[in-house]
Amino acid sequence: MAFDLTVNGTQHRVDADAQTPLLWVIRDHVGLTGTKFSCGIGQCGACTVHVDGRAVRSCSVPASTAIGKPVMTIEGVSPDGSHPIQMAWKELDAPQCGYCQSGMIMAALALLRDRPRPTDADIDARVTNACRCGTYHRVRQAIHLAAQLMGTRAGLKTGSHEQGDLT
Amino acid sequence: MSAEVTRREFLGTVAAAQGAFVLGFWVPGKAEAQTPPAPAGAAWYRDPAAPEVNAWIVIDPDDTVTVRIAQTELGQGVWTSNAMMVCEELQCDWSKVRPQYASANRDAREKAPEWTLKVPGNGATDPKGGGEPTFGNRDRTGVSGIPDSLYRRMRTNAASSVKDGRYYLQLAGAEARERLLLAAASLWSVPASELVAKDSVITHGKSGRRTTYGAVAQRAAQTPHPHPETITIKPPDQWTLMGTERKNLDVPIKVTGQAVYGIDVRLPGMKWAAVKACPVYGGDVKGYDFAAVRGMPGVVRAVQFPIPDPACTRGRIFSGGVAVIADSWYQAKTAIDRMPIEWTVPTENAVVTTAMMRDALITSIGQPGRVRVDQGDVDAGFAKAAKIVEATYSTPYLARARMEPGNATVLVTNDRVDIWIGDQSPQETRFSASKITGVPEANVHIHLCHLGGGFGRNGNGPQAEHAIMIANQMRGTPVHMLWTREEDFIGTTYRAMGMARLKAGLDADGWPVALEVRTCMQRDGFGPEASFDVTSRYHVPSYRYSSHTTKFHIPVGTRRGVGQAAHEFYRESFMDELARAAGKDPYRYRRELIARANLPYKADMLKALDMAAEMSGWGTPLPKGTARAIALEERGAEGNGSATISAMVHTVSVSRDGKVRLERVDVAHDTGFGLVNPLSVKKQIEGQIVWFYNDAMHQATTIADGHVVENNFNKFPLSRMSENPPQINIRFFPTQHWLIGMGHDRATSVQSGIGDAIFQITGKRFRDLPYSKHDLTWS
Repeated sequence: MAFDLTVNGTQHRVDADAQTPLLWVIRDHVGLTGTKFSCGIGQCGACTVHVDGRAVRSCSVPASTAIGKPVMTIEGVSPDGSHPIQMAWKELDAPQCGYCQSGMIMAALALLRDRPRPTDADIDARVTNACRCGTYHRVRQAIHLAAQLMGTRAGLKTGSHEQGDLT
Repeated sequence: MSAEVTRREFLGTVAAAQGAFVLGFWVPGKAEAQTPPAPAGAAWYRDPAAPEVNAWIVIDPDDTVTVRIAQTELGQGVWTSNAMMVCEELQCDWSKVRPQYASANRDAREKAPEWTLKVPGNGATDPKGGGEPTFGNRDRTGVSGIPDSLYRRMRTNAASSVKDGRYYLQLAGAEARERLLLAAASLWSVPASELVAKDSVITHGKSGRRTTYGAVAQRAAQTPHPHPETITIKPPDQWTLMGTERKNLDVPIKVTGQAVYGIDVRLPGMKWAAVKACPVYGGDVKGYDFAAVRGMPGVVRAVQFPIPDPACTRGRIFSGGVAVIADSWYQAKTAIDRMPIEWTVPTENAVVTTAMMRDALITSIGQPGRVRVDQGDVDAGFAKAAKIVEATYSTPYLARARMEPGNATVLVTNDRVDIWIGDQSPQETRFSASKITGVPEANVHIHLCHLGGGFGRNGNGPQAEHAIMIANQMRGTPVHMLWTREEDFIGTTYRAMGMARLKAGLDADGWPVALEVRTCMQRDGFGPEASFDVTSRYHVPSYRYSSHTTKFHIPVGTRRGVGQAAHEFYRESFMDELARAAGKDPYRYRRELIARANLPYKADMLKALDMAAEMSGWGTPLPKGTARAIALEERGAEGNGSATISAMVHTVSVSRDGKVRLERVDVAHDTGFGLVNPLSVKKQIEGQIVWFYNDAMHQATTIADGHVVENNFNKFPLSRMSENPPQINIRFFPTQHWLIGMGHDRATSVQSGIGDAIFQITGKRFRDLPYSKHDLTWS
């Protein structure tokens, strides 16, 4: 039943039922716990990761759907918090309890890839993750700041060299 | 492993086990001091490498300062604000401060230093005075903290971390600083009074000598202060760190996924437990067929557990249940979903519905209740009134629904219990662990993790108790119990359903001459039984307040806002109704009634109302379909002690098809003598606007056949980014008292504010929450 999964640029041999939700393969087989479990029914987005560059609620898709596609988790954004979106999140001091923030950042990052200068309406439509602490006010500002920082960086160099950024 | 496994044997068994995210930390033969080399992002107590200066502070030779935090970071900023209170006095380099959770085990074994037990000054109203934790009935189960244990109060609740901790934490920083100075003074043979400490550097001006905290910390650790009772703390006008906006120290690890929550703990040899508890409280397992799932992948065994001992859950009756143990959680969960389970349920509980409970509230509120206040002559007031206004308001049962589902990792051996958990009340968990396993509290080690939201969640529910009861039947094996979201909605207490009936008599000018307030809530529901706003804040010559109770089987407990949330919804909604009945502006109506009142913080309440009104552009025209509503939020205004006072104006639009949008919130909030971290205060206010927006618009827990119906986010909705107010303006004003706290009962006015705006726009007045269940369309 073993299969291969490429997470954050590293190939992992996973010995599990391929129908296991991607979330649990990432957390318990690959061993990356930054991606969180909360509702288990794809409602809240705490488990958001990128599969093939798209934001996916990993609690509700089988791992098999990610076979052969690059998976990126919060740990792949940058291990040291130096990615502009993480810098923006820190500048705004956005997280409170922080539990939903990995998923929130992944959803926002997918949006910024598609729309480098998102409007508030874009954010409302695409970042639909739930936060019980109510960090939305700062998360919105952080997304706009991240857009600025990423835009600046894109102007400085072409292409991205993030680990696991295969999109 | 046999049931008689000892710690030593367990350690031997797992010593070689290592994995990607497994903590291999056991130190064989050193049972008392097993300290995990934790992953980056783990926050629990470790025995220090350098000797500690005192129980709060360790300074390494490189000047890194570890500050022990006795409250739990659950998003409210305590990780940072507690450290700020210590470091204000310590005068260390803030960039080298590393918070770490305090040890609940040491708290069981060590007594509080004598110098922390005496609070000088006049508490709440003296800028030089201290806070004093309230220890309630002074029992030793830790429900309200323990008066003389090392950290005294390890609970994280009631927005009290700053109020209760400030004095002790400043004193801890000051004591350590004085000992560091004494150490340097003895090294140089000069009087300590000639030394200056700043940013972890000690200098002697006369000789030009200089050293660092790191260099003298070991000496300081061995140098007790000869007269610690003479050490004083800085009043707010001398603060340099407190009162400045500091980014939260836990944020960097929360944007990389490194922060270790309870759910992230992995141990060598660990098994996973998925649980099903009887959905009807008071119910238990009648039988289950483990044979049906025994052969499924990874499945190890099933473990039944009884209704948790009410002594461990503050008297609340939860349910019995069963766990399936497997190699991974998803395997355990898959198996338990397929395992046939039969419940036995008390008949009287199984028939309960929300409608029945509502009927019981209506019956109780109509009968004589417990009269709390009876001033003037209410009946005579009604008799002579020109107009009578009556209204009945109600609020539903409500879950907390924090994002991290309940979990705990527990290892029980015959002589020791280890628990990895995010916990708002570790002293209570320690008590539970001892009660369930028989292991003395001095041998219970709680490794505190960051918590994925709190809102009153822990200390109320059986998350730790479930895990301990399961692991106690698997001694020697670490067991990580994790609830599904649906189980999380069972394993929790609820904010009780409430009702209020208000009746006012107005004179010919529209001013109230008599007011009668009746509130009703489930007994122990922290509503009428908590004396939050028994006193009328708005002046009425004759006033009667009675509380009424009912009894149901739903376990109720403290939820963010506690009784205040419902009470302020009732009171402020009714003030809007009275102002409209009087034909007066709701802001000016409130202002006049506060001005007439005889309350110690009257001037502060007027200031809050005036500032919020001014910020919002009160009275200036708005587009059709948009309205403003104002409300006062206060706690403690009736006394002459700690208080928190704010006012908010909510600008709300309602589209013709009934879509509500909270467009803008203007907040005027008092600082008391000083806020510790104004940035965290702003974040808490922003968050509570979202919290009470959800209470107002979306959330309700209903009961059918004795169980909770809304058990996941598809039925218990959480607002998203698209509903968040585009504009939140917060301004502070100084006041002359210490704050009670502001982490749980601010922004309650979102409830009355949206209600009055809906009335202004649609002409319809709704008095039961949430508003989304009503027809809000207009033409």
